[in-house]
Amino acid sequence: MNIDWIWANLQPIGALFLNHIWLTVVPTVIGLVIAIPLGWWAHRSRRGGVVIIGAAGLLYTIPSLALFILLPAILGTRILDPLNIVIALTVYTVALLVRVVSDGLGSVPHDTVAAAEAMGYRGWQRLLLVELPVAVPVIIAGLRVAIVSNVSIVTMAALIGIPQLGTLFTQGFQLRLIVPLITGIVLCVVLAVIFDQVLIRIGHVASPWRRRDVPA
Amino acid sequence: MIRFESVSKVYDDGTTAVDNLNLEVPTGSLLALVGPSGCGKTTSLRMINRLIDATSGTITLDGVDVSSTDRVGLRRKIGYVIQHAGLFPHRTVVDNVAALPRLLGGDRKKTRARALELLELVGLDERFAHRYPWQLSGGQQQRVGVARALATDPPFLLMDEPFSAVDPIVRAQLQDEFLRLQGEIGKTIVMVTHDIDEALKLGDQVAVLRTGGVLAQFGTPLELLTRPVDTFVADFVGGARGYRALGFEQLSEETALTPHTPVKLDERVSDRGWVVVVDDKGRPLGWVDGGNARDASAATLHTTSRFLPLTASARELLDGALAGPGGTLGIVDADGVFVGVLSASSVVEAVQGAAA
Repeated sequence: MNIDWIWANLQPIGALFLNHIWLTVVPTVIGLVIAIPLGWWAHRSRRGGVVIIGAAGLLYTIPSLALFILLPAILGTRILDPLNIVIALTVYTVALLVRVVSDGLGSVPHDTVAAAEAMGYRGWQRLLLVELPVAVPVIIAGLRVAIVSNVSIVTMAALIGIPQLGTLFTQGFQLRLIVPLITGIVLCVVLAVIFDQVLIRIGHVASPWRRRDVPA
Repeated sequence: MIRFESVSKVYDDGTTAVDNLNLEVPTGSLLALVGPSGCGKTTSLRMINRLIDATSGTITLDGVDVSSTDRVGLRRKIGYVIQHAGLFPHRTVVDNVAALPRLLGGDRKKTRARALELLELVGLDERFAHRYPWQLSGGQQQRVGVARALATDPPFLLMDEPFSAVDPIVRAQLQDEFLRLQGEIGKTIVMVTHDIDEALKLGDQVAVLRTGGVLAQFGTPLELLTRPVDTFVADFVGGARGYRALGFEQLSEETALTPHTPVKLDERVSDRGWVVVVDDKGRPLGWVDGGNARDASAATLHTTSRFLPLTASARELLDGALAGPGGTLGIVDADGVFVGVLSASSVVEAVQGAAA
């Protein structure tokens, strides 16, 4: 084990780390934004729900490497364009979160939704002001799974030459060095834990009514 | 005024939920819709604010046909209270009440201040205002539900089994307070309930529906109790109808009381029977049993019997007399001063005299 390798490569490792962050965060956020209307539709329409959630499940089964290679052909992008990664991960995030959003909206008490309708909330007002806020805990739980899974899937992009923490794995393999490999794994885990904790905090702040420490 | 004219609801599969319903709810009064499950009472209620659209017939609010009104605008003019309250779990109590005024563009400070007033009106302590719904009991949540329905001061109120999810003691308390509240606010209300006693207690008028959405009888509680149109209504209204009808009758103001000389506290009791004990101002404190006690004192005073004004319902008076010492009820005037006693038989005679 040669720890000095880390010190010698601190700057490129830092760059890979930052790359990994945005390659994970951007598709997760875009995926959530797309999944909300789709999940709402799946929740509203019984037939639509079966189709959308079924299709989402199928999307998730496409191997990531295949998607990374296929997308440039479909989109006309260059194979080294990070956009391919962003789009592929967005697809996976949507696939995961459509069901989560639909379940989250389904977790809103029926009486609450009925009351909002009878009070004269319009459809979109009910969704934005009542249903989504109440679904936050369920959606955050799904988002935690999605972002941690994205941290791991992003590493696959190293195989098509997009730099991020996965690059450390290919380097380690090519140079027959264990240190880059371990560095990559540790940093991925650290990143996943950070994202998870950040989401827990966001969920905590966004759903104060769930806290049991509110003054009684 | 809410008016149903030949209103029917037939579903696509051919089931008739409401069959040619004609009803009229005068402004400021409460109509209770009551009947067994499947009688279309909730469907009828939900057609008023167009949660369900009528198949035929018209429903008008102060003369305006609801089917010509925009659904959302219509609903915002009609307060709605449902079973289990249906509060927004992510909003505090005060923000639940202020939700609709805020949605309609009201100022945050003003709507909150108004919400606090409404919470006071429905009898919820201010310290609950900043709690979340899960921190409240079912009865408290239902009070918030009523306050929320009143938040925009709508002229109409729809209530769907509002008090049925709470225990009987809390329910009776909520009903009593609701009667008091309605006395103050005078809304035009339609309430759905499966509880005939609730319907008779709260309704100015009661509509009994039978399975299939057919109106069986429409009338005042007294009419339902004394003149049910058929055995269905009679069975639905239930037993002890004659006795319960007394709850809606009063004795004549001229009903003669039996004179009774009360004693004051610490005075000697010369009579051998039950004697009323009064304070310095003549207000009753209780009864003392002359057969057992020589003096009227705190130790010998029986305080369990009620003293009622003659304006109480015939049912309360009769019940008071039947349960009172020696079969008599102490009567007080409007100032609470003891004026005489009534026996159970004289209450019955007075009722029969009025009916004859």
